[in-house]
Amino acid sequence: MKRRDFMLAAGTAAGALMLPRMSFGAEGVIDWYTSSDSNILDFWTNTVKPAFEAAHPGVGLNLVDAGDGAGIIAIGERAIAAKQTSADPQADFFESADPLLPAGAIDAGIYVNMKEAGLSNYSKINPAGIESDYSMPYRGSQVLLAYDTTKLDPADAPKTWDDLVAWIKANPGEFVYNRPDKGGSGGNFVRRAIHQANGLDPSMFTVDNYTQEFGDEALGKAWELLADIAPSLYDNGAYSSGNTQSIQLLAQGVVTMAPVWSDQILQAIDQGVLPDTTGLVQLQDLGLVGGFTRSVVLETGTNRDAALKLADFILSEEIQSAILTELGGFPGVSWDYIAPELRERFADIVPQSIPTFPGGAWEAAINDGWYRNVAPNVDRDA
Amino acid sequence: MTEVAEGAARPLIETTGESRRPTGLLLVAVPVLLMAWLIIWPIFSAIARTIWRPDAEGVPGFTLSSYVFFFSDQYSINNLLVTLWTTGMCALLLLVICLPIALYLRFSSGRMPAYVQALAIFPMFVPSIILAYAFIRVLGPNGMVDILLNAVGLPKIRTPYLTPWGPVIGLVWDNIPLTVLILLSGMGNVANHAIEAARDVGANRIQVFWHIVLPRISNSVLVAISFAVLGIFSSFTLPYLLGPAAPEMMGPFMNRTFREVNDPLNAITQAVITFCFCIAFGLFYVRSVARNQVK
Repeated sequence: MKRRDFMLAAGTAAGALMLPRMSFGAEGVIDWYTSSDSNILDFWTNTVKPAFEAAHPGVGLNLVDAGDGAGIIAIGERAIAAKQTSADPQADFFESADPLLPAGAIDAGIYVNMKEAGLSNYSKINPAGIESDYSMPYRGSQVLLAYDTTKLDPADAPKTWDDLVAWIKANPGEFVYNRPDKGGSGGNFVRRAIHQANGLDPSMFTVDNYTQEFGDEALGKAWELLADIAPSLYDNGAYSSGNTQSIQLLAQGVVTMAPVWSDQILQAIDQGVLPDTTGLVQLQDLGLVGGFTRSVVLETGTNRDAALKLADFILSEEIQSAILTELGGFPGVSWDYIAPELRERFADIVPQSIPTFPGGAWEAAINDGWYRNVAPNVDRDA
Repeated sequence: MTEVAEGAARPLIETTGESRRPTGLLLVAVPVLLMAWLIIWPIFSAIARTIWRPDAEGVPGFTLSSYVFFFSDQYSINNLLVTLWTTGMCALLLLVICLPIALYLRFSSGRMPAYVQALAIFPMFVPSIILAYAFIRVLGPNGMVDILLNAVGLPKIRTPYLTPWGPVIGLVWDNIPLTVLILLSGMGNVANHAIEAARDVGANRIQVFWHIVLPRISNSVLVAISFAVLGIFSSFTLPYLLGPAAPEMMGPFMNRTFREVNDPLNAITQAVITFCFCIAFGLFYVRSVARNQVK
């Protein structure tokens, strides 16, 4: 083929690929979106999808990464717009979503009321995880501290916030947490500091009690705590840009300790990204913040009924056990519905209590306040 | 390459006489309309939305409060300053690195320059996200450089990862191909006989560069720098992955304000301000192109 012909053919082919693809929600293929990290997408691809498709012949799963929470919200907004014109939202299932977002989604009627949807496994859900009738908790994870046992004896690992601060100051440059908006591990470390600054009482913060005044006061005290440890952090106050980057710094032996998600760290150790000498510890005075991931089914989706079957399926013992054994998360159902031998095996990571922190206006205030008050006030060259 | 400078090239499409048909206009109509729809219209809509909006009582009116906030907020100003610093530093380094490469490629022959050119163009084919992770592995803490230094008993470097120098190094590497290519095309304007004539009257290398080469390529330098600056000023991936948490460059700052702080108004304001700086750089480019046309 002449070069010119080849260029023409290649150009045409590339152009054809870039044409807006006209797609409609296909009957029998559930359009599934996630905002979670890639380990969750891998888990669905390798474990949930084959199991579900085997159990429900004729129903398929189209797994799509929506990027982040804002990506899911954008698809939610599209679904609201589609409903107004009675069009197909091209989405059936959100793996992780907050039904309160986009604002007014529940009133617009695009989400299924999971409580009344008649799921056979709904009653098994851990009541602590239920936040709304319109979402269904199915897995959880918590932030804990991962450290290098070759540099820090597990007997000396900090067990309280004060111990941790003392350790960070005694070992400058050996601790890093990521920017709170770029990943939950750093974000929940920051939230733990907010709990610390406000009397260790997570119930002080609710999704609708944010006011400018209360926020400034409560968060201001936390910024002081965090600014205080900043000069002792990695590279005189550097913050990694995500969960994975923190793990990378830990893996390269640059830092000794970092807050991490329980599921990500267990997988990283399992895959050899981190050595077996990685230790895990949870603060005992009040654990680091964790939470459940809640799925949402779209009322207006083409495959609403199939998506509800999927929702029921992921609460089954098969998938809930896999969440423990393969994902390193903890189940969304109460522990009574988990096989006894698994209950025993994972006793260590099973949290006694999971402190939570609300989203909504608090999240925006934390994301803005931390950047303005904690990140800049360090002379990195000192 | 020696004949390039002699006489202006004949235009590809004759525009004189009876061949003045609207074909040309029709050909550019599609991109122009697309640009008007996808770029020009959003710009005007963004400007309008930031200066004409409801006040506290919900009455729409003219206000500049979001701009006043930006320029009275030290945090925002620091972000703007670090963006300007990064852009300026990158432009300077690009010139320092790319000018010698372009000169070498223009004035040497044989197989070696072909390899050098291939190497200089190579960054064009590396996506910036791959570059960022490669950077972390090589220049990052305990990365390859540290391991090599350690092997010969030297102390570790202070890594540029997560400092303002991180994005500078990444962005310079990323922009080398375009800058080299534009400078190289400018070198086509430098006629060999002009240089030979200068050498005959005893000019040394620096004099040849200063009096013969530089005046002919000054236009290309301007074009190369405005292209690089436009891209760097609004860059996102490299500053996001390699830069410090604060101050942040305008790209990540805008994105965070919009998505994480849920504050579209201030995000749009930041975008308009970024756009104003870019249009200033863009005017340099337009001016130099216009000057070229007059010549």
